[in-house]
Amino acid sequence: MKNLAVFIDSKNGQISESSKRLLDLSSSWLVQNGLEGIYVYGFEEQSSDSFNSFSSIKQYIHITIPGLVNNNQVIAPLLEDIKQKEIDQFFYVKSLLVDSIAAFLAESLSIPLVSNVIKLAKVSDGYQLTKSIFSGKATLTTEINNNSFIAAFNKSFTFETTSQAGNLAISQAVIALGTDAQNKLIENYPLTGAIPLPDAAIVVGAGRGFNDPSNWGIVEDLAKELGAATACSKPVSDLNWRPHHEHVGQTGVKIAPKLYIACGISGAIQHLAGVNGSRKIVVINNDPEAPFFKHADYGIVGDVFDVLPRLLNKLKSH
Amino acid sequence: MKILVCISVVPDTTSKITLDSTNTRINSEGITFIVGPYDDYALSRAIEIKEQTQAELVVLHVGSSDSDALIRKCLALGADRAVRIDTAALDSYQVAQEIIHYAKDQSFDLIMMGKESIDYNSGIVHALVAHGLSYNHFSPVMHLELDANKLILEIETDSGKSKVSTTLPAILGCQEPIAEWKIPSMRGIMTARTKEIAVISPIHSNFEQHIAAHVVETERLQKMISAEDAESLIDILKSENLI
Repeated sequence: MKNLAVFIDSKNGQISESSKRLLDLSSSWLVQNGLEGIYVYGFEEQSSDSFNSFSSIKQYIHITIPGLVNNNQVIAPLLEDIKQKEIDQFFYVKSLLVDSIAAFLAESLSIPLVSNVIKLAKVSDGYQLTKSIFSGKATLTTEINNNSFIAAFNKSFTFETTSQAGNLAISQAVIALGTDAQNKLIENYPLTGAIPLPDAAIVVGAGRGFNDPSNWGIVEDLAKELGAATACSKPVSDLNWRPHHEHVGQTGVKIAPKLYIACGISGAIQHLAGVNGSRKIVVINNDPEAPFFKHADYGIVGDVFDVLPRLLNKLKSH
Repeated sequence: MKILVCISVVPDTTSKITLDSTNTRINSEGITFIVGPYDDYALSRAIEIKEQTQAELVVLHVGSSDSDALIRKCLALGADRAVRIDTAALDSYQVAQEIIHYAKDQSFDLIMMGKESIDYNSGIVHALVAHGLSYNHFSPVMHLELDANKLILEIETDSGKSKVSTTLPAILGCQEPIAEWKIPSMRGIMTARTKEIAVISPIHSNFEQHIAAHVVETERLQKMISAEDAESLIDILKSENLI
C-alpha cells in the first residue's frame, strides 16, 4: 500500500481550520484503508510543532512559488517530487491555486480528479466519492474502481474519525516551483475587509431592502459583533452600493458558512445558488411572500431596521 | 488568430432539480436547457475580440444533437462555425480529453470557456485542457485585453484579485464582468442558418467509474419566529452553537 498526499492552506503559518479538519480526516482515512503515511504539502514555512496533533505524517514539504502557477513548466518540479514518493491519493480543500496544481497532476498521472467532495468511503472494489452539485441543490455519488485519485473537498465535508496518537517530530523539505518568462504578475489587489468572505464561519448578507448604501451601518455592526463577514445580493453590487467581491450568488462568490443571516434579500434563485452550502440559514425580510423563507431554517417577517438593532442589543447584553 | 470557445449546456438556473426513477440521473423532463452562463460570458468576450481582430471563432460542444439549437444560437451571436463531439458529457476528465484530442492539431491561439459549468460545478476542465495542450492557463478571468500576442488579464485569486500578463497560446476560464451577455440580431439569426455544425466522433476516454446515487437537497427547517420575539433568535443560535 502506498501514501497519501494532503495539500494544506495556511496564513502566517497558521493552518486553516478546514485544512486541520482535512488532516484529521486523512489520519483516519489512512488507518481505515491501510495506507502507509501522509506527505503534507503547503505554501508556507511551518514550525516543527504545527503537526503535533496529527498522526502518520511522514514529511512536510514547503512549496515555494517564485512566480505564477500557470503552466506545465512551472509545476514540473513538484511532479518530479511526487513521482518519487509513491503517492496513491491526493486530498485538498478546494482552492484556485491547488485546483491548478491538481489538474496538472491528474492530467500528468492520468488519474481522476473529483471536485467538491463532501464524503468519502471505501467500498469492496473501489471508492465512493459524494460530491455537491447544482450549487448545493443536489449531491452525486460516484464509484471509482481505481486506487489512485485526487479529491478536492468542499469546506462542508463530513467524516468519521478514528482516534490517533499525535506525531512527535516530522521532517521538512522545500521544493521551488519553476519560473516562466511568459507569465508576469503586474499587480496584486488583496481582499480588503476584516474577514474574507469565502473563509468566514458566519456571514451577514444584505439586499436591496436596505434602500440606500448609507444604511449599511447596522449590517456592519451586527457582522462585527458576530465576527462575521458581510455579503450582498447581485442588485446591490450592480448598483455599486457595495463592492463586487461581496456579491454572493450564482455568478458571484459561493459561500458555505455554518451560519448565513440574509437581511432584506428576497431570495432569487441565483442568490440561493451561492448560499445553498450554508449549514443554517436565517432570513429576515418584511415581505412574508419572499421566496427565501422557503429556503430558510429560521425566518423573521419584519422590518430590518427594527429587527437588526434589537438583535444587536440582545447580542451585546450577553 | 484562431479562437475556440467551449460551451456547456445546462439546466436553466431557475430549474427545480428532480431525479428520474433510477435515482441516478437528473430528470430532464420539463427542464429548459441553456448555454452555461459563464460560457456565455466567455463567448461574448470572444465575439468582441473577433470583431476587433477579425479572428476566426469556433464554438465547441461535447454533447448530443439535443444541443444543436443552442449551438445555432452561438453561431447567431457571431461564431463562424461550430463543432459538436457526439457523446454525452460524463465528467470533467472525459470532456477535457475530448477537447484536447480535437484541439491538439488545430493550433488555436486562444481557448475560452466559463470558469465552471453550473450543473456539476467542478471548474477544472479548462485546467485539464491547458495541461494536456501545454498552454498557459488562468481562471477565473474577469477582464481580458489583447495586446499583440500578449494578454493582460484580471484574475481572481484565493486572496483577492491580480493583474497579470501572459502570452498566447492560452486557455482561460471566464466569469463576469469580462463582457456583457449578447443578444443575437435578426441578421445573425439568418446567417447562422447556413453556418456549419460539424459533428465528430468521440474518442471515449474515461475512467472506470459509475454513478451510485444522486440525492436532491433536503428541505430546510422553515421555522418562523415572530418579529415581536426576534430576540429569541439569538438564544436559538447560541443553543445550536452557531454563534
